Amino acid sequence: MKKKRRKKIHKEAKWPRVISFEEREEVLSFWEERFGIPPETFENYLLLSTAKNYWLFVKPPELRPLQNLQVQTVGLLFTRRVSKWLKPTSTALQRFGHLATKNIVELGPLELDRLRREKRLEFEADLEEGYVIIKCEKKIWGCGLYAKGKLISYLP
Amino acid sequence: MGTKMLELSEAPAYFERYRKIIPRFEEFLEHLKRPLPLYFRLNELKCPQEEIVLKGLERQGAKVFPVPNLPRFFRVEPRDFPLGNTEEYYLGYIYPMTLSSALPVMALEPQPGEYILDMCAAPGSKTTQIAQAANDQAVIVANDRRLDRLTALVANLKRLGVASALTTLYRGEVFPFGVPFDKILVDAPCSGEGRYRQGYEGELLYQKEGHTNLPAIQKGLLVRAFDLVKVGGIVVYSTCTINPEENEMVVDYLLRKRQAQIISCQYPLPHHPGITEWEGRVFHPELIKAARFYPHETESVGFFVAKIKRLF
Ligand SMILES: C[S@@+](CC[C@H](N)C(=O)[O-])C[C@H]1O[C@@H](n2cnc3c(N)ncnc32)[C@H](O)[C@@H]1O
Repeated sequence: MKKKRRKKIHKEAKWPRVISFEEREEVLSFWEERFGIPPETFENYLLLSTAKNYWLFVKPPELRPLQNLQVQTVGLLFTRRVSKWLKPTSTALQRFGHLATKNIVELGPLELDRLRREKRLEFEADLEEGYVIIKCEKKIWGCGLYAKGKLISYLP
Repeated sequence: MGTKMLELSEAPAYFERYRKIIPRFEEFLEHLKRPLPLYFRLNELKCPQEEIVLKGLERQGAKVFPVPNLPRFFRVEPRDFPLGNTEEYYLGYIYPMTLSSALPVMALEPQPGEYILDMCAAPGSKTTQIAQAANDQAVIVANDRRLDRLTALVANLKRLGVASALTTLYRGEVFPFGVPFDKILVDAPCSGEGRYRQGYEGELLYQKEGHTNLPAIQKGLLVRAFDLVKVGGIVVYSTCTINPEENEMVVDYLLRKRQAQIISCQYPLPHHPGITEWEGRVFHPELIKAARFYPHETESVGFFVAKIKRLF
């Protein structure tokens, strides 16, 4: 028998659920369409979900034995559902953002400093509106939102 | 339970009982007056090019030197350089850790696809090293019995971008059966004698009376690890103490209770065989295949590592 779905990871957390093929496609297509990161990048990983969070976890030879463990956390927080949008986490972008081909915002050190302090900047660029990768001198810092001539920081 | 910090002036008397086993004992005592060099491990899961870290740290005034024979490890000068406050740290490009602490995972030789239990994992210097060694493709169960320490472990896994670990909060002695572990690391809680030196006097809190029985805890953890690993699998037992009662004697206990064998390993740092006799007690002859590392020979923390194979 399958275990029931549970929500969050906390002290008595149960295993996050393995998502359906369609849901996986949806999340990975977002990464491909938005950043040009191909789905094969994640072929050795499972996508698991708790509430509005998607977690990336290495594909084990068998999942069942691990599911008998009482876990605190499983894998890396990868993508979140924010209202009807998917939003990449900064951690995941820091890890995989080097493979991105588009929607990357390159900032100079001073601009990055200001963005981190003030949380938003007036910003004009030839980009599609939506979530972007914030990069500075070859280092990927994480997630921002570009919309209406502004860059908003989602850096941790 | 009364604990007391060992003053540097008391160190010679404290370590005197190891005079026969520590090579060049006087040199060892002298060495304790020197501070620990600063090292870090580079995390290639996050850092696209080594150069970014090396240039970045140099721009901030640090000098960085690769450690010979230890890929991905670097020494930093000055040794009080605040690595933990750098961008490189914040972005998870580096993990500050002492050299000898890398040895247990070298003995473990993690491979992609293996189920690996890190039984006493927090704060995760070795868990993250295992993840890197297997290119984030081993299935790592990172366990610790303390929630506060597990929180630090979870933060480090996130910082380093590790997606191949799950975390659990069991007492190692009762970690549940059912996962066919290929390898288990028991980096046991210990008295920490190997860390002791100038500036680290607080690392050795020795009990005046009614002390916790560390060897009993260590034996419980090691036997459980052995019973959890599959037949033919590997358990690496490590501590950062010099004390034979927490090292050879714990492994000796296992070798008498179970069908196990010690595997010799190659290490990139100077080391000595495990001892086979201590204060009149004779240990299993296999123990010469374990390894002892001393602070004055490694410019690092003293360590003990035994790689154990489960035969039946
Ligand atoms: C030497 S430290 C581990 C260091 C860690 N392996 C690293 O490299 O970052 C020992 C750890 O064992 C944990 N511990 C102590 N008793 C334990 C037990 N019975 N079961 C599991 N973990 C235990 C402690 O909370 C501590 O975090």
